[in-house]
Amino acid sequence: MESKTIDFERGWDHVYKGIKQLRRILEGLPEPLFTSGEYVMLYSTVYNMCARNPPHNYSQQLYDKYREVLEEYITSTLSPSLRGKRDEFLLRELVKIWVNHKVMVRWLSRFFNYLDRYFVDYRSLPALNEVGMTCFTDLVYREVQTNIKDAAIVLIGKEREGDRIDCSLLKNVLDIFVAVGMGSMERYEDDFEADMLRDTGAYYSRKASSWIEEDSCPEYMLKCEECLKKERDRVFHYLRSSSEVKLIEKVQHELLVTYIDRLLEKEHSGCRALLRDDKADDLSRMYRLYCKIPRGLDPVADIFKQHVTAEGTALVQAIGAASNAPGVQEHVLLRKIIELHCKYMAYVTDCFQNHNLFCNALKDAFKVFCNNTGTDSSSAELLATFCDDILKKGGSEKLSDEAIEETLENAVKLLAYINDRDLFAEFYRKKLARRLLFDRSANDDHERSVLSKLKQQCGEQFTSKMEGMVTDITLSRENHAAFEDYLRSNSAAHPGIDLTVTILTTGFWPSYKPCNLNLPTEMIKCVEVFKGFYETKTKHKKLTWIYSLGTCNLSGMFDQKTIELVVSTHQAAVLMLFNTSDRLSYSEIMDQLNSTHEDLVRLLHSLSCAKYKILSKQPDTKTISRSDYFEFNSKFTNKLRRIKIPLPPVDEKKKIVEDVDKDRRYAIDAAIVRVMKTRKVLGYQQLVSECVEQLSQTFKPDIKAIKKQIEDLITREFLERDEENPNTFKYLA
Amino acid sequence: MHKLGRGHRDKVQQFMTITGASEKIALQALKASDWHLEGAFDFFYSQPHIKSYTDTTRLEELYNRYKDPYTDMILVDGITLLCNDLQVDPQDIIMLVVSWHMKASTMCEYSKEEFFIGLQALGIDSLEKFRERIPFMRSELKDEQKFHEIYNFAFGWAKEKGQKSLALDTAIGMWQLLFAEKQWPLVDHWCQFLQARHNKAISRDTWSQLLEFARTIDPALSNYDAEGAWPYLIDEFVEYMNENGIIQNGQFSDRSQK
Repeated sequence: MESKTIDFERGWDHVYKGIKQLRRILEGLPEPLFTSGEYVMLYSTVYNMCARNPPHNYSQQLYDKYREVLEEYITSTLSPSLRGKRDEFLLRELVKIWVNHKVMVRWLSRFFNYLDRYFVDYRSLPALNEVGMTCFTDLVYREVQTNIKDAAIVLIGKEREGDRIDCSLLKNVLDIFVAVGMGSMERYEDDFEADMLRDTGAYYSRKASSWIEEDSCPEYMLKCEECLKKERDRVFHYLRSSSEVKLIEKVQHELLVTYIDRLLEKEHSGCRALLRDDKADDLSRMYRLYCKIPRGLDPVADIFKQHVTAEGTALVQAIGAASNAPGVQEHVLLRKIIELHCKYMAYVTDCFQNHNLFCNALKDAFKVFCNNTGTDSSSAELLATFCDDILKKGGSEKLSDEAIEETLENAVKLLAYINDRDLFAEFYRKKLARRLLFDRSANDDHERSVLSKLKQQCGEQFTSKMEGMVTDITLSRENHAAFEDYLRSNSAAHPGIDLTVTILTTGFWPSYKPCNLNLPTEMIKCVEVFKGFYETKTKHKKLTWIYSLGTCNLSGMFDQKTIELVVSTHQAAVLMLFNTSDRLSYSEIMDQLNSTHEDLVRLLHSLSCAKYKILSKQPDTKTISRSDYFEFNSKFTNKLRRIKIPLPPVDEKKKIVEDVDKDRRYAIDAAIVRVMKTRKVLGYQQLVSECVEQLSQTFKPDIKAIKKQIEDLITREFLERDEENPNTFKYLA
Repeated sequence: MHKLGRGHRDKVQQFMTITGASEKIALQALKASDWHLEGAFDFFYSQPHIKSYTDTTRLEELYNRYKDPYTDMILVDGITLLCNDLQVDPQDIIMLVVSWHMKASTMCEYSKEEFFIGLQALGIDSLEKFRERIPFMRSELKDEQKFHEIYNFAFGWAKEKGQKSLALDTAIGMWQLLFAEKQWPLVDHWCQFLQARHNKAISRDTWSQLLEFARTIDPALSNYDAEGAWPYLIDEFVEYMNENGIIQNGQFSDRSQK
């Protein structure tokens, strides 16, 4: 390249020729395209005019000329073609001239490229294509922006009404809005998007107000789903993705938020009705629609909770009012509650995607009616009885193993809703003891599986004692084998009666009254023999005998035939008295046996006034009085060779409740001390709520009980009230 | 002294006579209390470093008059005699105030030390002085802070030695006495309630919180916070009042007059 200076006029002349050629090309006139040689010449001319020292450096003039050329091009060729055009025609024309403009700018920039490289930076001026953009914006865009915005919005409106529109046209138009922003979305947002959103809002507001009147809730929801889908498509096809969030929010607001109450509360088709009529699909749709709206699900969850609570309460009342036999009634109640639970749990999982709000709604609803059975027995007791019925022999043998497992699993789930969990534990433990000791458990596996489910739900501490009980039984069996070995090797020690002893570890089992019954000699010998055996195993443990839990098989030598009698140890002790005396008075039996009146009356009643009269009583009344006389009824017979004489158990309910109350007082005491020890100083309200929190796994404590314990601890000088503020307590180390 | 006005001079004289303090002390006390005699007494007696101008020999004489012949303490007979000499009823609440000054550990007996401490604190070494102090002591009951201290003192004083709680009857008696001074409208209802529903001893916490209750809660119980940290017994009392229609709609509709 020759490095010679060029005269401005000459240089510009050359360049301008090139520009004119370019314009002719753009106009579509038959004009040959630039060859690379021609292009290089033009570039070089510019170069030569710029890469010079002053006064031959014409950079500034060229820079200005560039702008002039563009402006001239726009005002003479581009803008006029827009005038007079409207709507879609305007849009099309705009896109066309935009394309032309871009080409012009591109080529021009190539010619003037040298300016971009050095001059622009050196003087901190806008780059060439920026200048190009600015020209277009100032001369074209500003004039037509309102009209094109309106035209675009009209098109969108048409599409909403179902017409087909030219999506690519719209896309191109919107591209212009973006381009004009020169790197920022401001023009797109302010000059187009804002009004588009407003228009959208107005559109859907109109639609919603008529739909809400005419349509049922499911119909309305379907329409909403459709609209939302279509709007998303719109974004995909021509709107900018940045508009999506705002657009969807706007639509949701108009359709779903504004009318949420009217929609949900629609009388025959609203949320309540859907729940009532089990419309799972519609409820799923409702969830889908509202889950993305902040706090949109709150009213739905609320209605759900109310519905479940109402259903549950009605159920409890209906069964309370029915006149079944008491035991049956309660069993039916629990079954029905379990069914209800399964039903609505399915809703939570399937329709409501296990969302927290709904899990909690279900929980709260069940807590309301599960604790109020309307009968004498607490729900804790009912549940324990229910489990007992399933687990004991003769309870539910008709059901398959799977059915039993499932029922037990559901029963354990209900425990989460019952406030008095510790009461349930006590009842369950008592009943478990009976099952284990009297061999009434139907299936070991089921027993263990329930315990493991309980452990999972309520923690290890809850089931540790019960597990201990089950282990005791297993150990006792092993122990018994060892005992038999012992007897075999010490034949002299054999008591002459078959003896099985079950050893219970004190802490695990419910507390039993020890008794000082005078046993018949034969039994005394058994006890001694076992003691001897036990001492060979361990000298550190003390055995306390609980005869009330034992059973005995006696042979009753009646006149007609010998019948085997299965009785409790106490009953056996009474009967064996008659081996040595024919006739005994109440008081004689009392003396010899050393029992309590309460127990003796029960015993004698079971043997003389119940189904099987092993003893005959004088006088032959239905109740036992202290002046009665008893004789062995040798005339007794029965077609069975072996009969069980039941001894009705004492009602332990009251004692269980008392025991649990006492335990609760200790637990509350311990919780208060624990909290205060950590916090040192704490306000009353906070202390109470932390205690409730700590105890919540086991039971729901009564606030009054907590208050009483606090005062007790003040008297015992563990705590004191703060002098300035009597609502605050301090821990006294 | 010549700089003071007539009224002030009189007060200084009075002060000196009653307390036996010097002119300098009298001026100090009166100035500190803005020339109110009652306040000046207060100021004077609450100064621990001010030597009490009591004659120990005379105190000894006084003590011997009342002390029990067999023990070195003043017991019931001595106290009765003292009350006679003072011309007050032994049931008069003034005896409680006296005991408070003495920091007596239990009612119906004063140890020698307690007797001395109390009388010295009051600047008493003769029966006349004792009698003269009585109006002052009565005035102390009107002071909010002192009443608070006396009230709380009463619990420890009235209960049996070695017990943690106060027997109900004694408590009721004390409350009747104390609230006669303070005028709490609900005191009778409170005592009735306790007799009907509680029938057990009163804990110290309940005792002291009751004063707070009487002080801050209005008789219609309108500002009572059931969720607050009031003792359990007071919660029950409020329930009792609501149940029996004594409080209806936040209105105290008590028809029984004292």
